[in-house]
Amino acid sequence: MARKKDSDQKDPKRQGEKSVTRRDFVKAGAAASVGAGAAVLTTSGTALTQVSPTEAVRWTYEADVVVIGAGCTGLPAAIRARDLGASVIVIDQNFDPGGKMLHSGGQISLGGGDPLQLRDIKGEGDKEGFVTAPRQQTVAELTEDTDFLFRDHTDWSVMDTAAQAPYRYNERDLHRAYADNCYATREFLMANYVRMGRISGTHGNGGMSRARRAVTFFMEGPTTDVKKGTISKQDAGIAGKSSSHFAPRFMEDGTKVASKGARTNGAALARPLEFSAREKGVRFILNRHMDEIIREQQFSGRVVGIRASYSPRFDPSGARLESLWQNGNIDDRTETIYIRARKAIIIGAGGHGANPQFRSMFYPAWREPAFVSSGWALLGPRGQDASGIIAGMRVGANLAGMQQNLSYGSTFHFPGNLATRDPYTDMLPGHPTFSMRGSTGINLLTDSFQHLIVVNQVGKRFFNEMLVTTRQGGAAFPAGPGKGQPKKGLDHVQLDWRNASVENIKATYSEPNSVHAALAMNEGSKAPDFFSGPIWAIFDRAAVERDKWNIDPPFTSLTNGFFFKADTIEELAAKILKGHEFQRVPLTYLKETVAKWNSYVDKGSDPDFARGSDAPMHRIDTPPFYAAAFYPVWHDSYGGLRINGRAQVIDMQGEPIPGLFAGGESSGGGNQHGLGRALVHGYIAGTNAVKETT
Amino acid sequence: MSDPQGSAIGDRGSEEPGSGIGDPGSETLAHITNVVVWDIPSAIVVGEKFRIKVGMKCSAECDLTGSHFEIYDHGVEESGIGDQGSEAGSGIGDPGSEEGSGIRDPGSEEGSGIRDRGSREGTRVATGTLSGDVWPGTTGLYVAEVELEAPAAEGLYTWSVRSLGSDAEIPHPDGSISFGVRVVSHPEYLVTVETVDKESQMPLSGARVVMHPYKAVTDERGIAQVRVAKGAYRLFVSQSRYLTFGLLVDVDADMTARAELCVEPVQERN
Repeated sequence: MARKKDSDQKDPKRQGEKSVTRRDFVKAGAAASVGAGAAVLTTSGTALTQVSPTEAVRWTYEADVVVIGAGCTGLPAAIRARDLGASVIVIDQNFDPGGKMLHSGGQISLGGGDPLQLRDIKGEGDKEGFVTAPRQQTVAELTEDTDFLFRDHTDWSVMDTAAQAPYRYNERDLHRAYADNCYATREFLMANYVRMGRISGTHGNGGMSRARRAVTFFMEGPTTDVKKGTISKQDAGIAGKSSSHFAPRFMEDGTKVASKGARTNGAALARPLEFSAREKGVRFILNRHMDEIIREQQFSGRVVGIRASYSPRFDPSGARLESLWQNGNIDDRTETIYIRARKAIIIGAGGHGANPQFRSMFYPAWREPAFVSSGWALLGPRGQDASGIIAGMRVGANLAGMQQNLSYGSTFHFPGNLATRDPYTDMLPGHPTFSMRGSTGINLLTDSFQHLIVVNQVGKRFFNEMLVTTRQGGAAFPAGPGKGQPKKGLDHVQLDWRNASVENIKATYSEPNSVHAALAMNEGSKAPDFFSGPIWAIFDRAAVERDKWNIDPPFTSLTNGFFFKADTIEELAAKILKGHEFQRVPLTYLKETVAKWNSYVDKGSDPDFARGSDAPMHRIDTPPFYAAAFYPVWHDSYGGLRINGRAQVIDMQGEPIPGLFAGGESSGGGNQHGLGRALVHGYIAGTNAVKETT
Repeated sequence: MSDPQGSAIGDRGSEEPGSGIGDPGSETLAHITNVVVWDIPSAIVVGEKFRIKVGMKCSAECDLTGSHFEIYDHGVEESGIGDQGSEAGSGIGDPGSEEGSGIRDPGSEEGSGIRDRGSREGTRVATGTLSGDVWPGTTGLYVAEVELEAPAAEGLYTWSVRSLGSDAEIPHPDGSISFGVRVVSHPEYLVTVETVDKESQMPLSGARVVMHPYKAVTDERGIAQVRVAKGAYRLFVSQSRYLTFGLLVDVDADMTARAELCVEPVQERN
């Protein structure tokens, strides 16, 4: 029998081993046919040279600015630097630009009196006439300035529903710069084909006092045309059936924030930025993982370049995955290359959520390698691997915000998606990584959890299943009672001690705790890591029929180790042990647990976890029986390289490392969720990188 | 008959005693018979007939056609509905896997004719034989339907099913499973529950109405009728994709309740 996994997977070729085939799914027609507007490169961002400032490196390529990561920090940084006249090379470990941004909801909280707040205050729409929906917020809810935003983002008094302070520990210089650059960043986005709708509320940890969030969108049209702001229905996707290479995730209806026919999500942000970058002459080296940042001396001097290795991904047929657009790509398949940065290196390599060793410094129980970061199937096994942070540390960088993973509610949580290793990712047929999901999962709403029990690696229940997917919300406008703050909306008072009073915390504390219970040590946890092991949802045929679950492929796979079916509970336990790579010990207690559960159902009460008060209880006794992996996911990353207000990476002595910049989830000291933080960092980094002198 | 070494069960089982998994390292490997019981009514009126399904599965997927089983009554649990007793006191643990659970050898009382309700051994109330039918959706779970008679007094009883092996050449040690039998007096009051979608006010058919231990399902008009005994109940109405409706009710006469169910919102992804 194969040895059970005690470490994370690093072999990219493993990605295609367990796959969902297109035939498994509803036929979705041809793949995306996007390509309109492909630009002709007019600049020579790269040149084959043999420059060796360190006398030891034979450079393969060089550019003024080298950007690591083509995501939410890297793309705006690259465009901004290119706008200011620099030659730019962007590398990314994945086959396609976009990073997690491409799979995001496209929600961008900025503020401080940014152009969209002002547009809504005036009651205006956009120049193209796409935004005709009525204003979502009042003038007062939209009115602020940068000083007000800065105070919001550094407010010591705000406590969330887990009694954490999401703003207190934010780096002050960084957030002063953030507040001062929100206006310019919003303008910059709009100047690079990004369309955004009405301001509505504020995204998690984006501030408590004003509405600042806008969602990116395209309008449905006959063709997908980034310049015109249109997307075909095929590219936007069909709910539950198909997505596209252009938009890996089905795009939601955006009528409320823009107008009828609007389709929203992060594809309407990532693709326009990528398109604009290519159009402006940014060069991309994809399938290329940054392994090392090269500095003149390890802890002194300028950073001068990077070493990067070839990191292709392959589909189940063995074909290499390719980017949607190729213009501007440098397709170098050499195992190792060196890229010289004449002026600056910008790290936008994402976070650490997929690196069990790194993330365990925040939370030791998360050293368990079974659980992945959101976007695992999209980004591949080397996405979110902390490589940007680690490379910075190796040349002397300091860290910041190391505790802030704990003060955002969905940093780690249980999505309600069973029978898949990557319960957060949504690619459907049409996107090249759909097959990497292995199975799309049985996506359950909370109420459906009445039909199952959830057990740990030894087969014991550990939490009330009806509460196990409960997530703590982010601390943001309009908040109010029940969401952490004593006063709602405009009544919230910045810097008021009452926000952090014991009385308020007692009244609002509602930390869900289910993930913590899931990660707790159990009888199967063994030294030295004491892994908690996989989590299993156990149910029977009656549950499937009662709640109308579709458990057929591609929702599940009986061969990928994340879903099992058996005639008896004993047989089910044995199949899990044999078939799941992270199931290291027998589910010794599973039969006893099911018997006990059935006895509780007979009695009508659950003395162990108080089920039965909010939904009926159901026996698990009708064969066949099922086990579906029920995995928590590490979604965001907080904590990373310390950067200042110019996005320069700061060393252990408090000094900038010459030529080295970072942002987004590679950086720390900012607890804002989502896209706004990274976009602003990228804008600032790109602006300042070009000012560096060789 | 398949090779037990090649069955899905048995791999690494010997590492953890009590796992219920076979030991591939043993030279005298026994075929393990596991027993399943389902379709047990949630409330059975005293003295009335009811039916359950019994399934048996050999770990090596042997043909169990003709295998016999017995059903035993182990008496009323002392704990009643809602009792918060410890698991040790529940009395419904798996008797087949727990030392000292008391029903390992009920055969010694066969033919005694003594109803020793509440004893460890229990009283045999029925016997059965597997016909050769395999339960749909399983690879080798042989099934039989059994008609039984509820005891004459109310209570939550512990019953068990014990396999008795077969005429097969390879020995099959006894397997067993216990289950609860809820016996109630004649429920005197009729509760009529009307279920609609809150937004559209359209009736919801197929919704499950639960007033533990009583259950019913709504018809095409969204109506379900549950006959219950006098008492306080938590009335639940649940339907796929809807939030479960809950209501505390005291029943001391026929009554009607209206359940307006809301579609469960999809949690925002961020």
